Amino acid sequence: MMPPEIMDTIGTVAHAVLPTVDVLALVYFLVVNSWYLVLLASAAIEMRRHILLITDESRHLLLSSTLSPTISILAPAYNEEATIEASLRALLALQYPRLEVIVISDGSKDTTVQVLIDRFDLVPVKRIYQQRIKTKPVRGLYRSVTHPGLVVVDKENGGKADALNVGLSFARNELVCAMDADTLIEGDGLQRMVRPFLHSPDVVATGGTIRVVNGSEVRFGRVVTTRVPSHTLAGLQVVEYLRAFLFGRLGWNRLGGNLIISGAFGLFRRESVLSAGGYLHDTVGEDMELVLRLKRLSYEQGGPGRIAFVPDPVAWTEVPESLRVLGRQRDRWHRGLADVLWRHRGMFMNRRYGATGLFVFPCYVIIDLLSPVIEAAGLVAIVLSLVLGVVDSTFAVLFLLTAYGLGTALSAFTLILEDLSFHRYTTFRDRALLFCWALLENLGYRQLTVVWRLRGLWKFLRGRKEWGAMERKGFVHLSAAEK
Amino acid sequence: MIKEGILDVVMAAEVGLLVVSVFLYFAHGVWLFFHQRRRERLIGEARKQLARLLTRSTVSPENVHALGRLPHGVQIAVFLEISQNITGTGKEKLRFIAGEIRLLDRAMGYCRSRSWSRRLRGTRLLARMDVSDPLVEQLLADPHPAVRAQAAEWAAAHPTVPVVAEMLDMLADPATLARFAVQDALLRMGPIVVDPLVRFLETHSGKPAESGLRLAEALAGPTFLPAGISFASSEDPALRTSAANLLGAIGNMSAASRLIEMLSDSHSDVRASAASGLGRMRHWQAASDLAKGLCDSAWAVRRDSALALRALGAPGVLLLRRALKGSDAFAADMARQTLDLPATAG
Repeated sequence: MMPPEIMDTIGTVAHAVLPTVDVLALVYFLVVNSWYLVLLASAAIEMRRHILLITDESRHLLLSSTLSPTISILAPAYNEEATIEASLRALLALQYPRLEVIVISDGSKDTTVQVLIDRFDLVPVKRIYQQRIKTKPVRGLYRSVTHPGLVVVDKENGGKADALNVGLSFARNELVCAMDADTLIEGDGLQRMVRPFLHSPDVVATGGTIRVVNGSEVRFGRVVTTRVPSHTLAGLQVVEYLRAFLFGRLGWNRLGGNLIISGAFGLFRRESVLSAGGYLHDTVGEDMELVLRLKRLSYEQGGPGRIAFVPDPVAWTEVPESLRVLGRQRDRWHRGLADVLWRHRGMFMNRRYGATGLFVFPCYVIIDLLSPVIEAAGLVAIVLSLVLGVVDSTFAVLFLLTAYGLGTALSAFTLILEDLSFHRYTTFRDRALLFCWALLENLGYRQLTVVWRLRGLWKFLRGRKEWGAMERKGFVHLSAAEK
Repeated sequence: MIKEGILDVVMAAEVGLLVVSVFLYFAHGVWLFFHQRRRERLIGEARKQLARLLTRSTVSPENVHALGRLPHGVQIAVFLEISQNITGTGKEKLRFIAGEIRLLDRAMGYCRSRSWSRRLRGTRLLARMDVSDPLVEQLLADPHPAVRAQAAEWAAAHPTVPVVAEMLDMLADPATLARFAVQDALLRMGPIVVDPLVRFLETHSGKPAESGLRLAEALAGPTFLPAGISFASSEDPALRTSAANLLGAIGNMSAASRLIEMLSDSHSDVRASAASGLGRMRHWQAASDLAKGLCDSAWAVRRDSALALRALGAPGVLLLRRALKGSDAFAADMARQTLDLPATAG
C-alpha cells in the first residue's frame, strides 16, 4: 500500500491533468471526424465527376492507337512456385496493347524460376540495359518463346524494393506498373489506371482502388463473383479498405493531397522514378517513400508531380485472417509511415513545398501518424477519469459518441458511396453483412489497430526495420471452382 | 461538466445519421435490384427490336414505334452497343432508325447543352453512329477536354479539309487527352493529312511543331523532307530530336546526309535519334561515323550507335568487333553487349 500522502498527490495530479487530456482528445476526435466529413464530401463530388466521365465510355481508341502510353508490369516474386503460373497467366491476359510483363524472381529458393522456364517456354537472352540504380546482381535473363511480352529476371535476393529497381532497369515502356505477385488485377484495370496520364501531363503516378478478395470467387486469376467475407477479421477489413480508398484517397484526390499509392498496384512514369533513384531499400514503407520523394522532387526540380487516384476497383488482394499476421502487417505499415514522414520531415510546414508542405504533410502527421497515440491516451484518460470520478458519465458517453459514433456513420456513408457508384456487392446477404461489419468495426477492431500501430511506432523509435512474414491462404482455396 | 442537453443533441444526430444511412443503403439496394432487372429486360427487348429492324430489308413502323417507346437510357445503351459492331450499309440503317426514333435529335440536343457531361454523352453517341454534322465539328473547340477528345475521335471518320485544318490547330491542345485523341485521329485519317501537315510545319514552331513532327514521322512521306531538314537546325533540342526521328523514318540520301551531321549535335538525345535513324535506314556509308558514337559520353548514344551498327550488317559488326579491342572501356562494353544479343533481338 502506498502512503496516503502519495495517494493524495497522485489524486491531485490526476484531477488536474485528466480533464485537460480528456478535453484535448475530444477536440481531436471532433476535428478529425469533421475533416473526414470534408473528405467524404470531396470524394462524393469527385466520384460523380468520374462516373459522368466514364459513362458509355469506349476504350477502343486506347486499345487500338499506336500512340497509347506503353506499360511494363513489374512483378516481383519470392518463393511463389505454387501460384506463379496462375498469377502470370492472368497478367498476360490483361487487356492492354503492347504490354510488357517483367517477372523478377528475387533470389527464390524454391523452383519459381524453373516453373516459369517450363510453363512459359523461356530461353536465356541478353539485353542491353543501363543500371542507373545499384541493385543486387542479376543471375539470368529469360524471354518467352510463346509470349513475346514476357521477360523473366532471376536475381540475387535483395528484397521487394531491389527487385522493383531491377525491373525498372529492364523495362522499356513509358509507364511501369509496380505490383505484388499475388495481386489480382481486373482485365481492364490498366486501361482504367492509365486514364489520369492521358488527362494531365503533370501526373507522375496513379493508384487505384484495391479491394479485398477474401470470400469472393476467383477463377483463372480473375474475380468472377464478388462476395463479402463471413470471416470477421476479413469482413472488417473490407469496410476499412473501402473507407481508406473510396473516401480517404478519393477525397484527397480532389484536394490534390494524395501521398499514398498502394504497393499492391501502382502505375508510375518510368523516367521520373529512375531520375528519382528508384525504390529505397532501407525502409519498410518503400511505396509511400517513393511517392513522397516524387512529389518532393517535383517541387525542388520541377517536372510532373501529381499523384492521381482512380476510384474504379482495379485490383484485389487477400487480407490476413489471423490477428497475429494482421497485427504484424499494421505494425509494419505504421512503421513505414513513421519512417517516411521522418525522412521527409523537411517538408513539414515548409512553404517551399506549397500546399503539400503546409497542409497535406501536417495532416498526415497529425491525423495518420499520431492518431494511435492520441486515441490511446484519450481512451486511457477517459477510463481513469471515470474511475477517479474526474469526469461524469455524460462526458464519457459524449466522448465515445464523438470518437466512435461518428466513425460508424462515416463508414456507413462510405458504403452508400460504393453502392451509388460501382455497387459490387449486390445480394441482400452481402449488404447486410457489410453493414454489420461497418457497425462492428468501431467496437474492438479499431482499438486493436490502435495497439498494433502503437507497437509499430514504438518499433520505429527503436529503429527496427524487419518486414515480418505474410501468410496467405491463397486464392486456390477461396473457391472450389478455381482450376 | 457537460450539459445533458448537448449529449441528447449529439446522440440524436448520430442515431439520425445511422438511421438515414441504413435506410439509404438498403433502399438503394432494393431500387437497384428492381432497376437492374427492369433494365436488363428492356435492353433485351430493345436488342430484339433493333435486330429485327436491321436484318429485314424494309423498316417496319411497328418495330420502330416499339423501339421508340423504350426509355431513352435503354435506347442509347443499345445503339451504342450495336454501333461498335457494324459498318457500311448496316450502320447507315442504324442511323436511319436512330433518326426515326428521334435519338439523333436528342443527341444533338445534348451537344448543345450547357452541361459538359451531356455534351460528352451527345458527342459520344453521334461519334459512334458516324453522324456527319457540323455541330460535332464545333465541339472540337469545346471548353471541356473530354468533349474535345470525343469530337476528335468523331473527326477521324470525317476527314474533310476544314476538319483537318482545325485538328492540326489542336495539336497544341493544352489537355493531354485531347492532344492524344487529335494525333490519333489525324493518323487514322491517312494521306489527306499530308499536305496540310506540310503547310502546318512551315508556319509553326515549339510544341505544336513537335507534335506535328511526330505525326509526320508516323506518316513518313518524302514530302516531309524539307520540314525535317529545316527543323534539324532548330535551336530547340526537342525539335531537333523529333526532326532526326522524322528523317530516319523518311530514309533517303538527303535525310541520311543530314543525320550524319546530326551525330555531332551538342544534345545527346539528338545524337541518339540520329544514330537510330541511320540504323533504321541501314545506311552503311555512315558506319565509321556511328562507330565514333560508341565512345560518346551519353549511354543512350552509345547504345543507339551500337544497335545501328548491328543493323547495318557486316560492316557494322566488323566495327563493333574492333571496338571490343579498343582502348575505350565503355565502347568495348557496349560492343560486347550488342554482339551478345541474339539474332532476333531488336
